[in-house]
Amino acid sequence: MDINTSIRKFGFQDLFNRKDLLWLIIWIAGLGLLWIWNALFLNAPAFARLQTAFLNSLLTGMMVVVFSLVLGWITGVSLHLLERSELKTGFAILSFVTDMLRSIPQIIAVLIGYVILTMLLYKGIIQSSFIQLIWIAGTISIAVFLEVADTIKQRIDYYRTLDFVDAMLCCGIKIRRIINIEILWKNSKSHLLHKLIAIFGVSIFLQCSIDFIISVGLSTDVSLINFPMTLGNLLANVDSKQDILALSNLFTDLGYLPEIFKRHLQGLSVASCIVFSLLCIYMIANGFVRRKKLI
Amino acid sequence: MKILRILHKEHSSLRTRLLIHCAGILLMACIFWIFISMYEISRVESRQSEKEIQKYLDLNYIDFGNPLDRTLFRESLEIFYKGQTQRNDSLLTAIDNLRQRQFSDPSYKTVENPNGLTWQVLQKLGGMYLQFIAVYAVVLLVIYFAAQRIAVYRFIKMKQHRESYISQAFDIVTGADKKSAGKAAALIIKAFLKGMLYMLLFSPAYVIAYSVKTTIDTSSVIFMILLGIISNGVLIHTANKFFTFLTGESRKGYIQTAVVKNLNASYEWNAPEGIPIKTMLHIKHGLRSHVFQAIFENARFQFIPALKEHASFLVTGLIIIEMALNIQGHFCYVLLQQILYRQYDIAAVIIFGIFLAVKLTEIVIDIWEYMEKKKYGY
Repeated sequence: MDINTSIRKFGFQDLFNRKDLLWLIIWIAGLGLLWIWNALFLNAPAFARLQTAFLNSLLTGMMVVVFSLVLGWITGVSLHLLERSELKTGFAILSFVTDMLRSIPQIIAVLIGYVILTMLLYKGIIQSSFIQLIWIAGTISIAVFLEVADTIKQRIDYYRTLDFVDAMLCCGIKIRRIINIEILWKNSKSHLLHKLIAIFGVSIFLQCSIDFIISVGLSTDVSLINFPMTLGNLLANVDSKQDILALSNLFTDLGYLPEIFKRHLQGLSVASCIVFSLLCIYMIANGFVRRKKLI
Repeated sequence: MKILRILHKEHSSLRTRLLIHCAGILLMACIFWIFISMYEISRVESRQSEKEIQKYLDLNYIDFGNPLDRTLFRESLEIFYKGQTQRNDSLLTAIDNLRQRQFSDPSYKTVENPNGLTWQVLQKLGGMYLQFIAVYAVVLLVIYFAAQRIAVYRFIKMKQHRESYISQAFDIVTGADKKSAGKAAALIIKAFLKGMLYMLLFSPAYVIAYSVKTTIDTSSVIFMILLGIISNGVLIHTANKFFTFLTGESRKGYIQTAVVKNLNASYEWNAPEGIPIKTMLHIKHGLRSHVFQAIFENARFQFIPALKEHASFLVTGLIIIEMALNIQGHFCYVLLQQILYRQYDIAAVIIFGIFLAVKLTEIVIDIWEYMEKKKYGY
């Protein structure tokens, strides 16, 4: 069997047309490669921390996706129902609140959440790492869920212009069922999934950034070690910062490159993990849009 | 209630939008004002209680670090306040806490603003704020123009049906022409460089800044502007949004009609009916007889309101840059410092300033959108 046949047999050509799947494979393969390299060359404690940090970041990202979906769904549907109901005041208030929330930069919303978390940690109200992660995910969700709400409202508004909604109403199907099941679940899954992939990327970015930022400290009583290990948290670690700083050596001495992959592995791995994940998630979202023809 | 009804009735008109923005600013100002006032009251209360405790610390014949003195003091309290064990214990704990704070709390050691929010502090913040706004405006403008060009370039490439470098290399490798190995290698190198560029554009600002910190002055304003443009994925996300509008617009019926009616529709660079590459410098007026002109103008029209969400994300990026790089004397770094020093009133003013910057951007964009609509007779 020549190379031509074998490549076609494995369907690689097909993968180029399904860029989302291609990038998903690239992401997993890249991370797998990084994991093997680290298993070989990174010291055991740092390797363990890196794995915990990555899993925690991933878990928080997933929780953000779930929370945003729930919040966005409720807000989007409520906005639509209020807009069409007699409760015009309710619609005006809710849209005013969402407008206000939109004007607060995401990082500020997350920072306020962290300040409150710091206070709760100081008072001993929150102790478990898992609850801290839930809190962080909840805070990030508040900063990003409006994107889901907008998508949901757009989808409902679009379908309301079509005849099938009126036809279903004539058949006696309740409006709540039409919106939640027929419009959103049956006809908008791809749009929502695309939005959720994008939100997953944004949540990883925001989480890493805020964890890096607060390495300066949010309180004299609570420090970085009180927070659960995440990629941003690990990057803010002095060792990792030194590793990233070492990259500057390459400007003057390119021969230092092999050293970077062995001596400065912790910082480099964390930074690669963050940047590579952000890139791949963006590409997956873009590929998904193309494959599902969402534009 | 009446206002809310009016707001709803004319939700889309410019006046109503401006009214909503102003109401939002006012409401936020009220919230922050109440917060600052309450914080000031609690600060005064805590200072008064500290004064009470300080009286004991001022007794120069008692060394609270000495166990003997502490025991004597505790016993004296028992004599004066007999039977009030809890009160006496609390007082001793409060004295210990104050002593500890005086040693460890930065607001006691390096305090610049011991009295919280003062006129001097506001003046200082004002200067920093203006600098922040200037950087933000420059970055927003550059991103607005750069994102359009990147999106247009990507769109034209897509219309030229160019496959990705890797895909082209793959075709060469699997094709019959084995002599083109060099070409395939060149394509792979191009793909690698493109990948690196993407990695750079998606890198959080702190990763880029730390990796060049020892060779470049990362605290300069120019570097901040550069980071604001290229990092955090802001540019690429904005370009992607514009690309989406271009693609959506190009599929509309009127474009197909224009093509049928023989408007130029070739997307080849510098071809007679194609797109001159120099048009990338002035896209808005450079393609009068090409169908792309209509696509671009309509996509741009939709892009204007979409800038609002990108503006908010851009501010997020700039805040991250200032905070993560610990650039002393910058607006957002001061915010972080004030949170650390528990000067929440100053932190609230800074957050309100940032909110105001986003709101002002939204107002400007709404006015701009309104003027564009008027221009096209909406």
